[in-house]
Amino acid sequence: MLKKKELSINMGPQHPATHGVLRLVLELDGETVVKCTPHVGYLHRGTEKLGENRTYPMALPLTDRLDYVSSMSNNIGYCVAVERLLGIEAPARAKYIRTIMAELTRIANHIVWIATHALDIGAMTVFLYSMRDREWILDLYEMVCGARLTVTYPRIGGVRCDIDQEFMDSCYKFIEDFPKRIEEYETLIDQNRIWLQRTVGVGIISAADAINWGLTGPTLRGSGVAYDVRKAAPYDAYDQIDFEVPVGKNCDVYDRYRCRMDEFRQSISIIKQCLDKLPDGLVLASEAPPYDMPIGKPRVMPGHPMGEILPGELVEEKVPFDELYSATEVPKGELGFYFVNDGTARPYRMRIRAPSFVHASVLPKLCEGSLVADVIANIGTIDIVLGECDR
Amino acid sequence: MTVKQLIDKVFLTEILKGMALTFKMMLSKPVTIQYPDEKRKIYPGFRGKHAFVRDAKTGRQKCIMCMKCVNICPSQCISLKKGRDENNKPFLERYDIEALRCIYCGYCVEVCPVCALVLTEDFGYCSYTKDAIFFDKDKMLKNWDEFVAKLSGDVYWNKFWRPDGVDIAKMPKSKREQAPVPIRPTAAVPSDTVPEKKPVNPAEKPPEPAAEVEEKPEEKKEVV
Repeated sequence: MLKKKELSINMGPQHPATHGVLRLVLELDGETVVKCTPHVGYLHRGTEKLGENRTYPMALPLTDRLDYVSSMSNNIGYCVAVERLLGIEAPARAKYIRTIMAELTRIANHIVWIATHALDIGAMTVFLYSMRDREWILDLYEMVCGARLTVTYPRIGGVRCDIDQEFMDSCYKFIEDFPKRIEEYETLIDQNRIWLQRTVGVGIISAADAINWGLTGPTLRGSGVAYDVRKAAPYDAYDQIDFEVPVGKNCDVYDRYRCRMDEFRQSISIIKQCLDKLPDGLVLASEAPPYDMPIGKPRVMPGHPMGEILPGELVEEKVPFDELYSATEVPKGELGFYFVNDGTARPYRMRIRAPSFVHASVLPKLCEGSLVADVIANIGTIDIVLGECDR
Repeated sequence: MTVKQLIDKVFLTEILKGMALTFKMMLSKPVTIQYPDEKRKIYPGFRGKHAFVRDAKTGRQKCIMCMKCVNICPSQCISLKKGRDENNKPFLERYDIEALRCIYCGYCVEVCPVCALVLTEDFGYCSYTKDAIFFDKDKMLKNWDEFVAKLSGDVYWNKFWRPDGVDIAKMPKSKREQAPVPIRPTAAVPSDTVPEKKPVNPAEKPPEPAAEVEEKPEEKKEVV
């Protein structure tokens, strides 16, 4: 009798379709994936630990490097978290500017997503058109803050500098022009029979499973769960803006694709409302910490996690002695920052709940039992960036 | 299946539509910028190569050695050494930026109380050696000269010196009164004629700080 044995192969870390340095160990029975084991950590830079050695304003540029295709959203998530910790309220104008930036980033991120996802599946033309459109958003970034990728534009208590008329004009032009560009992408792939065969009915995860695996963002909404941090726990100006949360119903790769395409249109609507309603005023709160924030003395004994509190005379009231979890909706899902603070201007513990990390963990669930070619579609649909996954 | 769907399926409508779009794109103007020949527009406030602003009056840098940039730098790539001359007056002995470690956040430009630092609009400065991208204070002034030579206009203003929309009441006086820097050498002394003071030569006087901040920043650790 011949003994049946699975073939074990490595997919990645050096594989262009794994969106970075994700390594999947696949055990194959013919063309069928029997077992899939994701290995992460090739891009680990110790962002959390670095953040614990820097004051809150100094750790802000580190968050650019988490999810490098939507750096502005990471910055905003970090700033919102620290503002909640310090009890600072950003001025209204800064909130609206941040909302515009967050939505521009969502568009830029989904552009990169549709480009790479379609490229992996085999539709190369979308890649060329979408990279052309992303350039415009990067130019908008450069207009406001002088950098295109690692922006560091938001600041704890507001944003770094005000937007000018040139930005407003260009942004209006962009939101008028961009719906045409979305139609171009849809002309190419939306009804294309090859695209439909590669995506419909592939990578199905039910709503209950998606919640249990901790999925967030469009990956969860494709399964029909209308959970969005922007609606559930509004931050910045989202409570004053009308928008819908697109959801899918078939729980497959195609529905997640539709969700993201609908989010393009919702983002455009949000940007338009924000630009119309943009209030006047300063963009930085008066109580915002300066860049050279005084560190202060710790209020817990070193070495004791949240242990003994030192006597009152050492207590400095700069930063509350507190722990806090704060979530924001970045394009990939729910980005959470968890701080344990010991009373100094440096977090005792900084934990980043990265959506990409959670989404990478669901790959075995999606891939097992499917074909090898569908692994590529599944990696694309969960929209991971390994910089954020490995932190 | 409706009739329309049947027609779509038989006549490959969606594929033909896609083909028509790509054909249309083939006839449109290309968006690619042929980089070394063409250059894209750079917006004000671009964060590129580091430079010291050359003060029009003294012809030297304006650094007052307050250590703010050294302490704020998230990647800790700035080092500064304060020297004392024979009159016990401080002067800038060394100022080094390891540009290879820099992450171009621009915090140093924003915290500088006398607007002495600037991240210029030059971005292509790769090199085969590390030394060429290690900027000491002379190289930083050279970077400034190279940068302003390419500018049009008579003055230069960096938007991060005094960002729009931020309350200026909290800024030091020197920052509030900062005017756009003249960049054309009409009355300015060329740098070669003004000898840079060195600690080895006790006969010369140290350079005075160009401007004084309101509250003297306390001296912190010196990083070499």
